[in-house]
Amino acid sequence: MKVAVMSCIHGNYEALNAVLSDIDDHKADKIYCLGDLVGYGPHPNAVVEMIRALDIPTCQGCWDEDIVEGLNSCECSYPSVLAEKRGKLAHDWTNQVIHPEVREFLAQLPLSLRDENLCFVHGSPHNQHEYLLPEVDAFVAMERVLATGADILFCGHTHVPYVRSLDAGQLQIRVKSTGTTERDISFSAPLKRIVNAGSVGEPRHGRPNATYVIYDTDADQITLREVEYDYQKTCAAIIDNGLPPIFAWRLARGLEFAERADDPTHVCER
Amino acid sequence: MNDWAILSGIEGNLAAYEAVLADIKRLRQPVEELYILGDVIAPTVESEQVIQRVRSPQQNEPVPQVCQGWWEEQLLILHGLGRTGEPTELIERYGIEMVKTLWDAIPREMVEWVRSLDFGLFELDCLLIHGSSVSVSDELTPDTPAIQMLDRLMRMDANTLFCGRSGLTFQYEIQQGTVTSSMTTLDRSTSPQAIAVKPRQVVGVGNVGRLPGQASYALYHPNSNQVEFRTVRYGAGKGFQPASP
Repeated sequence: MKVAVMSCIHGNYEALNAVLSDIDDHKADKIYCLGDLVGYGPHPNAVVEMIRALDIPTCQGCWDEDIVEGLNSCECSYPSVLAEKRGKLAHDWTNQVIHPEVREFLAQLPLSLRDENLCFVHGSPHNQHEYLLPEVDAFVAMERVLATGADILFCGHTHVPYVRSLDAGQLQIRVKSTGTTERDISFSAPLKRIVNAGSVGEPRHGRPNATYVIYDTDADQITLREVEYDYQKTCAAIIDNGLPPIFAWRLARGLEFAERADDPTHVCER
Repeated sequence: MNDWAILSGIEGNLAAYEAVLADIKRLRQPVEELYILGDVIAPTVESEQVIQRVRSPQQNEPVPQVCQGWWEEQLLILHGLGRTGEPTELIERYGIEMVKTLWDAIPREMVEWVRSLDFGLFELDCLLIHGSSVSVSDELTPDTPAIQMLDRLMRMDANTLFCGRSGLTFQYEIQQGTVTSSMTTLDRSTSPQAIAVKPRQVVGVGNVGRLPGQASYALYHPNSNQVEFRTVRYGAGKGFQPASP
């Protein structure tokens, strides 16, 4: 069975169409979406309507949450003051144009999805806003997979796709408690994987192409897909709709501009 | 460097706190730092006196450094100053009546002091916190899975995490560990690399006020990285008798 997983569409209808065509070409049996259907991009309603029409199981992303709950993240959710300012502009625009039924749909999305030994989340199992970047410590990464009870954790949020394998994890522990004898404990974990699906509509891997992943369960093979599309159409729509031009600039380059988090593992507590 | 005394959960029990302070004064090795890992208060009328005592140490006593605990967080939520708007956790654990009981127990003028407390303290390579780096409600115990313990340490890159939420005294040493990690991106693949974990530990510092007549706390020797647990019995006819771990 082939499972296609995509994330972070961000209102980019052109990119979504291209990815759906590519998924069709690869004859995927199932599609999952890891949220952030809206925000930054010019077609939030069309994207949500397409996902609904195709009945694609989707979990809620941080942008979807913010559109439903109101912008409730503190400034630490944004990696820089500049990013925060631009993010708020995009939030306000999206909030104005979103249809009521689209907002309702986003509100009822689950935080995680499960399919046998696969788990699907937006950021991490602990928080939609947590970034599981490739450089996250291997033990921290392993904890995130183990917390789900799955073997493969699919996530998005960083907009950069990757496959991380964590194998032969083991820990030696000694526990001393008052009134009990000292205990030595061994902990071991078999192969666990984190698969980041990248971003359909706002890629940040250095090229403008949309990214997603296909997991072949029979062959146990994960393929990172990069799909070309007419990104200039989306860039033009961003400008035409009065969204910050920087979103078009970075979409055309596949770059995260001046928005690297000082502490990407930080989780907003609000 | 002299010892640290680390305690948690006075829970508005002034006699228990006085017994611990008296025990600290009797120690051969002087205590340089006194850390209180939250739950200074509880829904008791004595809480106000405990706050006053904590804020006004005597001349020969170390000045306590205090962080927020579970009860402090509940109080702040009631006053609209917490991380969430509703006291859901308080009601789930103790029922709706507890909202009024806690509100009435702590005078409003004390709330600003509670609000000024840090979420946690970081000294040398040690994180001192009520629950964990996740929240005040996070209860670490000797039975917490190892990978979860390691996560709580690594979130703040601490070598030692002192906590008090469980009320238990324990020392949980992560002595060694490895995992093999490999990465594939669109542009490159890295071959598998063995990643080792350095030794780290989580220490439960016990509870001062919850159990009538018996308080527990921890001593830490930063130079030797040694932990010692103290149990102090107090009240009529019990004297002050430190017990070995």
